[in-house]
Parts: sequence; C-alpha cells; structure tokens
Amino acid sequence: MSNAIGIIANPVSARDIRRVIANATALQITDRANIVLRVLSCVKACGVDHVYMMPENGGIRQHVRRGIDRAENQGLKHFPQLEYLDYKISGTVEDTFKGARKMLELGVAAIVVLGGDGTHRAVVTSCGDVPIAGISTGTNNAFPEHREPTITGLAVGLAVTGKVPADVAFLPNKKIVVRVNDQEEIALVDVAVVTERYIGARALWRTETFRELFVTFADPEVIGMSAIAGLLEPVTRLDGHGLHVRLAPEDEAAIMLDTPIAPGYMRGIGIRDFQPMQPGARYRPEISDGSIALDGERELSFSAKDDVTIELVPDAFRTVNVSACMQYAARHGLMRMTKT
Amino acid sequence: MARKISMRQAINEALEQEMTRDASVFIMGEDIAGGAGGNGDQDAWGGPMGVTKGLIGKFPGRVLDTPLSESAFIGAAVGAAACGMRPVAELMFLDFMGVCFDQIFNQAAKFKYMFGGHAQTPVVIRGMVGAGFRAAAQHSQMLTPLFTHIPGLKVICPSNAYDAKGLLIQSIRDNDPVIFCEHKNLYGIEADVPVESYTIPFGEANVLRDGKHCTIVSYGLTVGRSMEAAETLAKTGVECEVIDLRTLSPLDWDTVMDSVENTGRLVCVDEANPRCSIASDISARVAQDCFKALKGPIQMVTAPHSPVPFSPVLEDLYVPSAQQIAAAVKKTMAN
Amino acid sequence: MNAAKKSTPGGGIFPLDKPDLLVAYRTMRRIREFEERLHGEFAKGDIPGFVHLYAGEEAAGTGIMMHLKDNDRIASTHRGHGHCIAKGVDTKGMMAEIYGKATGLCKGKGGSMHIADLSKGMMGANGILGAGAPLACGAALAAKFRGDGGVAISFVGDGASNQGTFLESLNLAAIWNLPAIFVVENNGYAESTSRDYAVAVDSYVDRAAGFGLPGVTVDGLDFFAVYEAAGEIIKRAREGGGPALLECKMVRMYGHFEGDQQTYRAPGELDDIRDNKDCIKMFSERVIEAGVVSRAELEAIDREMTAEIDAALAFAKSSPSPTLADLSTDVYVAY
Repeated sequence: MSNAIGIIANPVSARDIRRVIANATALQITDRANIVLRVLSCVKACGVDHVYMMPENGGIRQHVRRGIDRAENQGLKHFPQLEYLDYKISGTVEDTFKGARKMLELGVAAIVVLGGDGTHRAVVTSCGDVPIAGISTGTNNAFPEHREPTITGLAVGLAVTGKVPADVAFLPNKKIVVRVNDQEEIALVDVAVVTERYIGARALWRTETFRELFVTFADPEVIGMSAIAGLLEPVTRLDGHGLHVRLAPEDEAAIMLDTPIAPGYMRGIGIRDFQPMQPGARYRPEISDGSIALDGERELSFSAKDDVTIELVPDAFRTVNVSACMQYAARHGLMRMTKT
Repeated sequence: MARKISMRQAINEALEQEMTRDASVFIMGEDIAGGAGGNGDQDAWGGPMGVTKGLIGKFPGRVLDTPLSESAFIGAAVGAAACGMRPVAELMFLDFMGVCFDQIFNQAAKFKYMFGGHAQTPVVIRGMVGAGFRAAAQHSQMLTPLFTHIPGLKVICPSNAYDAKGLLIQSIRDNDPVIFCEHKNLYGIEADVPVESYTIPFGEANVLRDGKHCTIVSYGLTVGRSMEAAETLAKTGVECEVIDLRTLSPLDWDTVMDSVENTGRLVCVDEANPRCSIASDISARVAQDCFKALKGPIQMVTAPHSPVPFSPVLEDLYVPSAQQIAAAVKKTMAN
Repeated sequence: MNAAKKSTPGGGIFPLDKPDLLVAYRTMRRIREFEERLHGEFAKGDIPGFVHLYAGEEAAGTGIMMHLKDNDRIASTHRGHGHCIAKGVDTKGMMAEIYGKATGLCKGKGGSMHIADLSKGMMGANGILGAGAPLACGAALAAKFRGDGGVAISFVGDGASNQGTFLESLNLAAIWNLPAIFVVENNGYAESTSRDYAVAVDSYVDRAAGFGLPGVTVDGLDFFAVYEAAGEIIKRAREGGGPALLECKMVRMYGHFEGDQQTYRAPGELDDIRDNKDCIKMFSERVIEAGVVSRAELEAIDREMTAEIDAALAFAKSSPSPTLADLSTDVYVAY
C-alpha cells in the first residue's frame, strides 16, 4: 500500500454568524494555507513523497502553490509532490464528499483534515476506513484536538510510513447515524433536535429552540452543543456508550446549566434529564416538526410525516492517535538522526 | 463691529458661528484637531495651518480627525450631506483631490441632476491651493479650472479675510457641493472683518478699483498683485478697473462684461496653468460676447504650463507678478 | 419594504410568520419579473444604454432589506434594480426611468445605473464600482449624529471589493464604530473576469478581519440564511455594536450587462444555475414542503407581479420623453 496521504482543507469553515454574535475566530485563508505547507514539510520529513489535495477556489490553493514555487526557486526539497484531485469545484460540501471518496479510491494511507466539526463529518461520510487526522480551523472544534499542526503532520508521517505500528497509531471512533426516511447522515460528536424548521444560517445559538441532544462523547473541555453533555456527565471517546440529554424550558427543568454553546457565548440551558445513549438502539425525536443539527449545523428538517431515527454506532471510523504516535516516536528514538 | 483679523481667523470664526447656529454642521479632516488617539493635547494642531484650532474644545464630537484616507472620508462627507447633514470636510491640500475626486465629481456633483432634482448634497470641501509656500509640485497647485469644469460643483476662492468669512458661511448654507479654495499665502493677511455672522452671495464679483482704460480680472492671491499693478500704472495715467471674481462657479459674467464694455480692454490674471483655465475661459467668453467693444487684444497672465517647481527662485518666477500684469496691460493698451 | 420584524419568536418553524414569508416571496418575484421583462425588452432594442440585471440574486437583497426601514440607507451598485425594489421603490417609476422617460424616478436623467429614491433610503445605484462604500459610511455617520438607530448598508460585488474605496471604508467604519454594514455580493465574476483570478485572497471575511470587523459568509441563494445572518448583523449595528461584513455567495442568471454573450462561462454553467441554483425556486419548495404556504398562494402572487410589471411597462412606454427644457434643470446653471 502506498504511503501517499490526502489533505482536505476547507476554505469556508469558521465563516458563519458566530463571528458576529460570539466573537468567534475567523482563521484567515493564508493561515490555513500555511498550515498545509507545514504539514507537507513534516510528512515529507517522515518519508511521504506524494500528497493529494482537494481542489477548492477559496484561495488556499493559490497561496500553497506560491509557497511551493518559492521553495523550488530557492532549490529547497522539503515538500512532497503535490497533486490536486481533478474535478469541478462546486464551492459546497459536495467538494469535500467527492475529495474524500476519490482519496479512498486512490488508496491514500490517511487524510489530514483542516476544518471544524462540520468538515470532519463530511470527510468521514465518504472516506470509508481511511484514518483521518484532524486540525481544527473551525468554530467549535469539539472533534479535532487542539495542537500545533506541525505535530499532527509528523504523527501522520510516522503512522503512514509504518514507523509507528498501526495498532499504536490509529484509534477507533464512534459516530451517530441519523435516518430521515431513506436519507442517512452521520454526526461525529453531537446530534441536536431543534424546533426551527429552516436551515438558514446553519449555526446553532438560539437556546430556546433546543429540545434534545445526542452525543458520541461528552468532554467538559469543549464548547458547542456537546459541552452541554460534557458538563453534565463526561463520556470519553473510547467509552462504549454516548449520552442522551433532554432539554426543557426553565420552569420545567431539573437542572439549569451554564454552558459555552459557542465561543465565549455562555447561556443557561434547562435540562430535563440525561442518560447513557446505548449503541444499536434507535432513538426517535420527541417533537414531530423541526430540524436536526449535525455537529452544530442544522442540516435536516423533518415533519410529522417523516420517520426519523438516531443511532449510536461504535468502531465506525479511525483517527490518527497523534499523542500515541509522538510518545512512541520518543520512546523508540524515531526522530534521532545519524551524525553527518 | 469690525476688527482686523487674519484670513485664518476669519475662516475659523465662520466655522464656529455656523456650528453654533446649525447642529447639522460638523467638520472633518486630517489633523483638524490633530490629537486624536494620542496622549497629548487633543487640539494639538488644529489643522496643519492652525485654521481649525480651538474648535474641538467648543464642539466636542463635531470635529472629527480622520485617517489619511481621503476617498473614504470625503465620500463619507458626501454621503452624510446626502442624508441631511452639512459637513465641512478639509482636504488639507486640494492637490489631494487626485485620490478622491471620484467622490466629488462623479458622486456629489451629479446627485442632484442624476436623481432628477430629488437629492441635495450640501457639502463643503475646503483646502489649500496655490504656490509660494516652497511646497513643490504636489502641494502647490491652483486646480480651480479643474473644479470649475464640472457642472454641479460650486467653486470659491477668496482673496482676503473679509470675503473668506462671508463666502464660507454662504458655502455652508448652500445646498450644492462647494469646493472652497484657500490660498495658503493669504492665511496670515489681515483685513477688517465684522464680528457678527454675514454672507456674501455667490456669483457677485467685487470691483476693487474703478478705471476707464483697462479691466483686470483675477481671484485669490493674484488679486493683490493686480491691485499693485493698477496702482503703479495709475502713476502713468493708465486707470485700470480691478475685478475680484471671488466665486468661479458661478461666475459673475455681467460685472466682467459690463466693465469690458466700458474699458474696451481685458487682462485675465490666473495662477492656474494656462490651458483650459479661468483666464482662457473668460477670454473666450468676452471675445465671443463683447467683440465690438474690444479695442485691443485680450491678454492672459498665468502660471507657465509646467508643474510648480520647488526651488524658491523658480517658484517666485512661477506665480504671476505685478510686473507681468502691468506689462500685459501696457501690451493691450499699445494697440 | 417595511415588514414588521420578528426576530425568531421561541421556536417557530421559520424565522418569519406567514404574512412575512409572503412579503419575501412577493419581493423576490417582483424583482425576477422586473428583470426578466427587461431582458426581453432589451433584446427587442427598446431600452437605451447599459442594463445590469439582478436576476438570480433576489434572496440576498430581499433577505437583507426586510430588516430595514425608510430611515436606513443603502448605497447600491450598477446592478441596483433588485436593491431598489427590495427597498420599496416603485416599479413604475423605475421602469420609466430605465426607458429614459420624463415620468421616471429621476425624470429620465439617471437611467438604470443611477436609479435613486432618497425618500426610501435608496441612495442610488452607482456606475462607479466601489464608490458606494464611503457614501454608506457617511449615511451611517449621519445616523450616528442623529442617534435615530438607523443603519447604512453598502453593497459591493466581488469585483469592486478590490477598490481602495471599499477597503478604506472598512477602516473608517471600524475606527468610528459606524452602524455601517458591508455586503459583498459574490457572484463569481467581476464583469467577465473570474474572482479566482482577480481576488488575491478570495475570502471577504479575511478582508474584514484585516480591519478588525467580524465577517460572515452565507449561502446567498438561501433566503433564510441571508435573512438570519443579516438580522443579527443589523441588530448589532443598531444597538451600537458597530460595523460588520456579510458575504453572500450567489450566482448571476444573466450576463454582466444585457447583450453579454457570456463566453467566459463554462459549458453548462448557465443551465446549472437555472436548474439547481434558483433562489426563488429553493424558497418556494421549502415553504410549500413545510406546509406553511400553498403553491396556489404563490402562483397568485406570480400573477399579481406579472400584472404589476405589465402595468409598469405600459406606463413607461406610454410616458412622454423629457424635452429640451429639461436638459439643464436640476443643476445650477450660471454659464
């Protein structure tokens, strides 16, 4: 198997209304391109010679190209060969679906993803069993861990070249599958049922519309919908179960929870109750009309005539265990060089 | 009651009186207070020549220091005027028009006409014009012909402190965009100026001196030099009528043509470059409409067709002098 | 349009109630009908000059303008018909103006590129790209002086976002915390040139961030996305929260101007726009599917709009042209 990797960098993550209502970060295109260049030089240092990239027209590509051209002009050899996948850019999430699918077909050893929770969800939807490594360039970023992308690049390079064994390098993850009649969508972190029927600006911030929440893991150190669960009852990414939280207006709530549902955006959330979400069980929303937000973005609307089910699926996809890779590299001296 | 004050003080007083009278008047420009955001005196400069000194203390919130961003703040003045305010925007040196002219000639000047008379844009753009300050080619031009060419703009250029005050108050009250050109070498010159507020109507030239032999028409700094030439010529028995145009658009054609009808001779003095200038404009119109009255060829005394030079020697040669004006009078009298 | 605004009452299906949904649909249909008729009439050779159509972009103008009142100002672009209609300007007066008739909103003196109706807060379409941004700053400054809670919106295309006026205005709005909102209508083409070529970093949120302004990108084809984001941004500006930028990614259904052969587009691109990116079709399907509005109700509005534009066209065609007497009115004339 080739040790080529793929990179999917979303140019439009961190662009929604939370910039205005919550002072959320707006990572610049040039910063994203520089992250790509850093990852490229790290995987090259580990022995990866070929990288496929998702095409986009949000400006990342031009900046990456300029960076590589400059290095070539200076006679530097620290970038692998970069190849853009060849398909028509739509400027929508379809590009990510298509890119991940093509990378799967090309047999890449891993996909590095730059985006927020939504971008990672789109990649996992289409990438089959190819492991992914997340770099957070989105708004809430509950799924991708926060660290310097240089390290993520090194870990990916060490993992895909076999320097770190697969049983150390990769981790299984849970996902939630949502079915509306014949349509099937997934979430990596959280599924929220809200009363708003329209998709609109997609982001979730109006707490009065929240009704139910399902999460794969519940981490009190993240923000967004999953923070509600995290602050009630932590559940790790490796636990066999998730969490199901029912929300309520303040006068009916058993608990009022002060929650960062968007960056710096603290809101009181009324909790009716919560219990473990069991794998394999099919949950149905309690309201008949509304929409479903997947990883913080409203994606599906439904009404009484629709059949909606929500299910936790264990061992659904793999991620690169960056921490384990780097620990292994240190203990086994993988980064030691021969003196020249 | 009148007392002697400089043109600088007269302009300051006009602004103060209008801001007191009308809450919709505000002023904006680069360094017009000059201390915004610093830790020192808020009114550090009061404009680079001190023309707006003291106003920020009297009108806090209505004296706006702007960034060095002429397109944005001149455009903002135009936009605010179209929304019912009466902004007075200082462009410092009117040479800077080069970076923001669109907002004036494509926007402000055209709103009323393009919008079928349903808009008015009472904005005043004031700033310095003219040579003699050793400020070289980009800070010394007399661009009055450029502004006068544009329909919809009114163009004012006072020659003294009294006119400056009355014309500026009129400009602020006028409902059209006004380009108010202040000659930088006149700021320090004093004249008798009434304490109270007054206006000078647009399109009314000022006849400074009666004479039957030759008409001298000028505006701005060269009005004084025209008077000097006339006094010299009077000693030789040549009596010149000296007309200060004061406003270039609108222009008081009646006064100019009545005078030429009487004298039969015309000398146009203009600090601008000669091509398509105020001087050539007046010469053409007089030649067309007063041809029979003319006894000699019309003379134009202007700057040469070159940028303003830096070297003091060259710059002093650049601006029309009293001697050049007197020589032009003699030339037309010789016919 | 001055639809009474409700900012998402607790958990409805849509952020607007049914009467407002119908207002939104009516406005979008009015724009589409107006533009498609112009497209047809232009092809017959009956309409003079340049015409730039807003068809395909209706969701953006409508979703934004539904939050505005008459004392909120907008500075539009050359592609201004949709902005006018969404701001409540009368289609008869607009149509007559586009035909150059005396009964036009601007008496036939402005035309398609300069339609304005200041009584509705519409400060004019603009033939100079990027020129509206400073004007909007001025309108916002005026609103701030008056303290009336008004906001000003500057529309700019992806092409004109490269203009200095636009960038300078972002800076000015930021330092003065103006209630100014910059809407980038990103339809992918600056006239014929692709934004991928012409814009160094194709992210308007990044440009806003460079000036410390929050920026938001939305799917400009999704009325609800625009409506929701614009609502938050406008509310924030009214409350003193300052300026922001909203990028609407959208498509143009026709050429840059009427008569444009659009050979710069990829094969099939226009079909794809018609079939899959029609913002009005997307809106209709959504509200019908939700069972809030019936297809029959929307079709009734379609017929109403056809009749309205029929009447506007008939009015324009039968109106008198301006005459020589109108040539020099609405501008002061002193020559």
